[in-house]
Amino acid sequence: MTEDERPDHFFERLLDATPDAIVIVDARGLIQLVNEQTLTLFGYAREELIGKAVETLIPERFRQGHPSFRSGYNHAPRVRPMGSANMPLYALRKDGTELHAEISLSPVKMPEGWWAIAAVRDITRQEQQQAALRRATEAAVAANHELEAFSYSVAHDLRSPLRSIDGFSQALLEDYADKLDEEGRQHLTRVRAAAQRMAQLIDDLLGLSRVTRSELFRTEVDVTSMAHDIVDALRRAHPHRDVRVLVQDGLTVHADPRLMSVALENLIGNAWKFTSKCAKATIEIGSATHDGEVVFFVRDDGAGFDMTFVNKLFTAFQRLHTRADFEGTGIGLATVMRIIRRHGGRVWAEGAVDRGATFWFTLPSA
Amino acid sequence: MAAEKHVLLVEDNPDDEALTLRALKKAHILNPVTVLRDGAEAVEYILCTGRHAGRDPNDTPQVILLDLNLPFLGGLDVLRTIRSDPHARLLPVVVLTSSKEEEDLVASYTLGANSYVRKPVDFAEFATAVRNLGLFWLLVNESPPLQRGGAR
Repeated sequence: MTEDERPDHFFERLLDATPDAIVIVDARGLIQLVNEQTLTLFGYAREELIGKAVETLIPERFRQGHPSFRSGYNHAPRVRPMGSANMPLYALRKDGTELHAEISLSPVKMPEGWWAIAAVRDITRQEQQQAALRRATEAAVAANHELEAFSYSVAHDLRSPLRSIDGFSQALLEDYADKLDEEGRQHLTRVRAAAQRMAQLIDDLLGLSRVTRSELFRTEVDVTSMAHDIVDALRRAHPHRDVRVLVQDGLTVHADPRLMSVALENLIGNAWKFTSKCAKATIEIGSATHDGEVVFFVRDDGAGFDMTFVNKLFTAFQRLHTRADFEGTGIGLATVMRIIRRHGGRVWAEGAVDRGATFWFTLPSA
Repeated sequence: MAAEKHVLLVEDNPDDEALTLRALKKAHILNPVTVLRDGAEAVEYILCTGRHAGRDPNDTPQVILLDLNLPFLGGLDVLRTIRSDPHARLLPVVVLTSSKEEEDLVASYTLGANSYVRKPVDFAEFATAVRNLGLFWLLVNESPPLQRGGAR
């Protein structure tokens, strides 16, 4: 039997092989055994620790309270983490520097009382990373708020000059019609159309930023009746359209009713718009179960889209049709995505050119 | 009773002022319009103080068209001042603004605005809105009686 193969050395080698620093403390609070990792982590030689009070490894400012924690543990010995989530633990190295530690304790029954096995893990780096992450998150939130405030004021201040452009173009058309030829009047009409289109863009952008800014108030939403209301409004606005709309009965979600209605207006409005070139169209609103999850859908048999560009569909200002074919600002689906994501759900689309499109979304139940 | 029902327009954007006046004229609403370009002067005008100390307090505007975004004193502050003044508190105030943010709507109605109109970019819609406002507040609506409570 070689030196290393003796049973007590085998135990020490086992201890040395564990990734954590292990400190075994007797009932009086004296260190009885440490492993290699402890020596590396704390910078001591083994003989400097054996027989010393475990408080040697604790920063000065926490030392006083520790013996009472120890006797408390001796009265209720069980495997548990030391400290608590909102009380960070610190350990003291030989050179006086400190480290963030995560410590778990296990009791061992010995003839003269309970010994404790403490497994110490250095989490200084994780703590630093988490602190950096927290700072980065706070900075991102602040930047986002700033951006929202900025877009709010820009959007409002941009509307006034547009009103002037549109209003005075109209004034020219009315008051100076005799001095303008047909081309001149055409130009002014284009100026007005552009101003109005920009106003629409600003409104849609404001709507998009409102989705992010407003608080969520979740309640039970009757999607079926909401969909019927939206379809009724579309029918009133376009009485000449021949559209068959099938809305499944009993559709409900747990969501913010206002945002939900904005999302549905966009999805159903899209279906309505992209079937406008069809003499007869069908729009279907319903739900299905995919792998035990309820999935809602809005389906149409209209112009559809090329699946190659499916990833661009939900990006603001991205449009997959020319303006001559279908009007739009390209903000609707970006708004839908923000709304569904804010609720913790997912949204995706399937389609083919001239074969219609289906938009799917999930919403977490309660 | 003052000779003619007049409108007080509080608006700092000269273009919007011109467009509002144009829209009123187009609607054949020929009542005089007093235009003030900042919130502080609007308060002095309504309360007959400061630069308008000599004004006849009985010559109250039939309706106040109030922008929200005004220099010196914002439209909401003007509205708050009007509603807390014993003589002016019943004056009809129409908020006429670019904003349709919910917080502006809620604040305006909470402070006692009689109406809230968002200025459309499309001049045709803007003209319709101004015509409707003018017809309603100058012809249809009965004004509140003059308030004579408190010391003047």
